[in-house]
Amino acid sequence: MGLHVGVIARVFEAVGRSVLEPIEEVGRVSKVFAFGFANVFMRPLRIRETLKQMEFIGVQSLPIILLTSFFTGAVFTLQSHRAFAMFGAQAMVGGTVGVALTRELAPTLTGLLVAGRAGSAIAAEIGSMRVSEQIDALDAMAVDPINYLIKPRLLAAIIVTPMLTAIYDFVGMFGSWYIAMYVLNMSEPEYMKRTQEWIDWDDIWSGLLKALVFGAIIGTVACYKGYYTKGGAAGVGQATTSAVVVASVAILVSNFFIAWALP
Amino acid sequence: MEQLDPVTGEPVAIAYEDVHKAFGSHKVLCGLNLLIPAGKITAIIGRSGTGKSVTLKHVMGLLRPDKGRIYLGEEDLTAMSDKKLRHVRNRFGVVFQHAALFDSMNVYNNIAFPLFEHTRMRKPEIDAKVAKLLAQVGLSGTEQKIPSELSGGMRKRVGLARALVRDPEFILYDEPTTGLDPILAAAMDELMVETQASRPGITSVVISHDMHAVLHIADKVAFIVDGLLYAEGTAEFFRDHTDPLIHQFVTGSLDGPMKV
Ligand SMILES: Nc1ncnc2c1ncn2[C@@H]1O[C@H](COP(=O)(O)OP(=O)(O)OP(=O)(O)O)[C@@H](O)[C@H]1O
Ligand SMILES: [Mg+2]
Repeated sequence: MGLHVGVIARVFEAVGRSVLEPIEEVGRVSKVFAFGFANVFMRPLRIRETLKQMEFIGVQSLPIILLTSFFTGAVFTLQSHRAFAMFGAQAMVGGTVGVALTRELAPTLTGLLVAGRAGSAIAAEIGSMRVSEQIDALDAMAVDPINYLIKPRLLAAIIVTPMLTAIYDFVGMFGSWYIAMYVLNMSEPEYMKRTQEWIDWDDIWSGLLKALVFGAIIGTVACYKGYYTKGGAAGVGQATTSAVVVASVAILVSNFFIAWALP
Repeated sequence: MEQLDPVTGEPVAIAYEDVHKAFGSHKVLCGLNLLIPAGKITAIIGRSGTGKSVTLKHVMGLLRPDKGRIYLGEEDLTAMSDKKLRHVRNRFGVVFQHAALFDSMNVYNNIAFPLFEHTRMRKPEIDAKVAKLLAQVGLSGTEQKIPSELSGGMRKRVGLARALVRDPEFILYDEPTTGLDPILAAAMDELMVETQASRPGITSVVISHDMHAVLHIADKVAFIVDGLLYAEGTAEFFRDHTDPLIHQFVTGSLDGPMKV
């Protein structure tokens, strides 16, 4: 009897914990976002620190964004040209690539790249500050770590990701145009006509709106994973990896729902 | 009505009353009662992992107890809002176990950081204050160095300078000498005694494993075992005590009731 009760109690406990833990985690993540965001207008404003983070997330991501965007536009143009050529619709290449790029590829790939590059760095930095008690030291000096550490990074990620996405749009289209002109030998008017006809400001805006959400996801997840790091250097490694994985998955999943909700 | 500390006869600055703290199912403090006398050096001793650092973190509200109260003078820290706690923290300086210097800043900015954050002091004043503190801890001229260029002992001394920069009423040291060579450790002990002597009224709490130093510098010693106050007294009281547990700890011997 006693044994049974013990086993049953333990099963319930395990079930309970496996239900509660994700809920608690979601609660903590939302808290990081809400507190970080609520702090935006709270003093000290940390403008310099935010600019520094924008420089880190934005400017330092430029090379990788420039490179990948050019090649994304290029390969997409190459492939769709092959497909469209089968039924003589090569002229649609520019427009197709443009819509796909601005609506989907640019925000998503920018989001994934920023998550991999800046998200991991943010999680690692805050995580190592946690395990080396630097965050306790901030608290001890009556400096709010949310205001000092999380707000600037969150804000910077939210501002910079759409900016990088706009660059991705532009350079991606340049890559597409370049391949169309110089590799596929299309004529400029032929390429341009449908491109201008098909790409709407709506496409661009919806891509940038997505990027804004992705920026918020990256900033929140990276700060959250860093802030709640446990267990020394190994913990920092874990926090870093899981920040990138969670942010990437969240970007891809939320991308679907935003696309669904938007016209 | 002011409470007096029975060991030193001084007014009580900080009082722990039946403080409980667990992390998950791991109980660390199980009803700790502890009085910290004002204007004196109190040493907290106990084995690794008994919750000494946890005890210290409670006094600044870095951790909140599951049960029990902590008083700072007349104020109940456990009932305070986060905002008020932040105010209280301005009265403390902390030297962390591993220094906890900001590794993105040089020594100057590490020490000046609390001033930049909380005061409107001007650059020349801050420069002078930082230079003075660095001289006091024997590290003049290291302003531009970054923490990774410093040895462990230097880092702890920078940590002490940072803790003192706002002239706190309380200074908390978490294992200030652990990991230092014997000469540096003695210098750090000396520094603590000097700090205490040169700042009348400052209340110090030191966590230490170094029994020799504890018995040398402390006005009061509190021995924590299994999350409870096991014994408290003056250094003399501990030095000559015959209780097997105390004797074993003070002499650092393998024979006795405590097992490895
Ligand atoms: N934030 C925390 N989360 C979970 N467990 C913790 C936390 N802080 C401390 N502990 C646990 O509480 C216990 C006491 O830790 P504490 O750091 O206070 O020990 P200590 O007495 O300072 O030891 P040492 O002399 O080694 O520094 C340890 O077992 C530790 O694992
Ligand atoms: Mg400790």
